[in-house]
Amino acid sequence: MSFFDKYASLIPVLLIYVVLFAIGILVPGMWQPVAFIMFYITLGQAFNIFLGLTGYVDFGYVAFLALGAYGMAIAVESLGGANLGFGIILIGLVLAIVMASILSLAVGAVALRLRGAYFAIATIGVNEGFRYFVEGARIWGGSEGIIISGAMRNIFGRETANFISTFVSDILVFIIAILAAIVTVLIMNRKMGYALMAVREDEDAAKVMGINVTKYKVMAFIASASFAGLIGASAWTLKMTYVFPSDVFLITYTVEAIVIVMLGGAGTLMGPVVGGLIYGILKYYLSITLPGFQLIILAPLLVVIVIAFPEGVVGALKRKARGNARKYLR
Amino acid sequence: MLKVESLESGYGTMQVLWGTNLEVKRGTITTVLGPNGAGKSTLLNTIFGLVKPWGGKILLNGMDVTYYPPHKKVESGLTIVLEGRHLFPSMSVTENLILGAYTDRAMERLNETLELVYSLFPILKERSEQLAGTLSGGEQQMLAIARSLMTNPEIVLMDEPSQGLAPKLVMEVFDTISRLKDEGLTILLVEQNVFASLEISDYAYVLNEGRMILGGTIDEIKDSDEIKRVYLGI
Repeated sequence: MSFFDKYASLIPVLLIYVVLFAIGILVPGMWQPVAFIMFYITLGQAFNIFLGLTGYVDFGYVAFLALGAYGMAIAVESLGGANLGFGIILIGLVLAIVMASILSLAVGAVALRLRGAYFAIATIGVNEGFRYFVEGARIWGGSEGIIISGAMRNIFGRETANFISTFVSDILVFIIAILAAIVTVLIMNRKMGYALMAVREDEDAAKVMGINVTKYKVMAFIASASFAGLIGASAWTLKMTYVFPSDVFLITYTVEAIVIVMLGGAGTLMGPVVGGLIYGILKYYLSITLPGFQLIILAPLLVVIVIAFPEGVVGALKRKARGNARKYLR
Repeated sequence: MLKVESLESGYGTMQVLWGTNLEVKRGTITTVLGPNGAGKSTLLNTIFGLVKPWGGKILLNGMDVTYYPPHKKVESGLTIVLEGRHLFPSMSVTENLILGAYTDRAMERLNETLELVYSLFPILKERSEQLAGTLSGGEQQMLAIARSLMTNPEIVLMDEPSQGLAPKLVMEVFDTISRLKDEGLTILLVEQNVFASLEISDYAYVLNEGRMILGGTIDEIKDSDEIKRVYLGI
C-alpha cells in the first residue's frame, strides 16, 4: 500500500470535522449542538481504539473519563496560585492522561487476563468500586466533588474563564477527536493493528501465530483510556467547572459509548464518527422536541438500526464498497 | 529436541497432569495416545503455554522454556495446531497464511515458507483467494496446518488433526503429516485415531489419567499388552 492509500481513510473523517466546525462557527446558535454531537463522536473514537480494535467490552470505561476530569480539577485547584496562565490547562491535560493511564494499566494487567463476558463484568466492578472509594474515603472532596469556577476566575479573570468554559473546552474536544482518529489509523497500519485484528477474530489463533496478545491488548487499553482522560478533562471539568463523583462515574456514558461504536461499526475508523453523528443528533433533537420521552423513541430506533446493520453502518457500507471507495472507508 | 519432565498442570483446583514425562526426538513423529479425558489436549496446551504448568520442566533444545508464554515459544521454534482449527473465516487463504507469519523469525523467510506451503498443499494455492470459511473441512484442516508452518517452526504440536473428517480425508491429513517429517520437521501428535496415527509414527506414548503408562518405539507399543487392553479391551 502506498503512503496515500494507508492514510486516505483519514480524509472523510477530517472532512466531517471541518464541516461540523464550520456549521458551529458560521450558523448562529449552532455551536452548542455541534459541541454536543462532537462530544459523542470523540467519545466513540476514543472507545473504538479499545472496543473496536480488540473486541473487548469495557463496562467501566467512564472511570477513565472521570479520572481525567479529576486530573484537570486537581491541577487547577492545587496550582491555581502559581501564576502559570494557560500552562495550567496543559498540566491538567497531562495529569488527566497520567491518571487515566495508570488506572488502565492497573485494571488491564489484571482484568485483561479474563475473556469476553468475564472481562466486562470485572470492569463494571472497577467503575463502581472507584466511585464509592472516592466518596467513602473522602479523597478529592469526596461526594462534594471539586468546584473550580472560583479558581478559574482567579487565574484567568472572569471573561477568559468564561471563554475557556464555553469555547476552548469544545475546541479541545475537536483536537482530541482529530488526534484519536490519527492514532487509530497509525495502529491499524502497524504490526499492532494486525495483531489486534487476529486477537479480535480468534485470540487462541493469535497466540498460535506468536502474537503477544496481552501486550497489545494492554497497549490499546492504555491508548483508549488516555483519550478518555483527555475528554473528561476538557468536556467535563473545563466546560462545567466542577467535578462531582455522581456525575462523572455515571455508567450511562459507558453504555452510550458502546452504542455509538457498535452503531457506526466497531473497528472501523469512520464508524464512531457516523455512530456519534446519528446518536448525538437524535439525542439532541429528541430531547428538545419530546423532552422526557426521548428514550421511548431513541431505544427502538437504535434496535432497528442494529438489526438492519449488524456490523454497524460503516461495516455494512464497507462490505458494499468497491475499488477506490474502499481506501477511504476503513 | 523436546523433553518434558514430571510435568504437572490442570484447571483451577483440578489437577489433570500428574508428573508426565515425554521425549520427542528431532525429525520424528511422536504420538500420544490415550482414552478420552486422559489429559492429551491438556498436555499439548501446557507444553505450548496456553495452560500454565504447575510444576516440572519443559526443555526445548536443552533450554528451559517451562514458563515461557506462547508467543515466546513460537519465537523459539515451537508451534501448535489447535483442536478445532481456529482459522480466520472471513479472510482469504493467503491472508490467513501471511498473518501466520507474524513473528520476526517467520517474516525473515516469508516467501520461502509460502512457496514450501503451497508445494505441500497445492489445493491451497488453487484456492488462495477464497475465504477460509468457505473451504471444506479437510481443506480447512490443511490450512490450519499450513498456517502453523508459516511461523517457521522446528517442532509442531498437533491436537486431533483428523477430528471431524471423512475417512478418506483422514488418510490425506496423515499423509501430509508424514511429508512434513520428510521436510525435516519434528511432530508431536495427539490422536484418538489409534491405528492411522501408529501407521505414520516413530514413537508413541500412552497417557492415562494424567500419567504416561507406556512409551517406546512404534513396534514395542504395537505389541504391548497395555495398548490391547486400553484400546481393544482384550
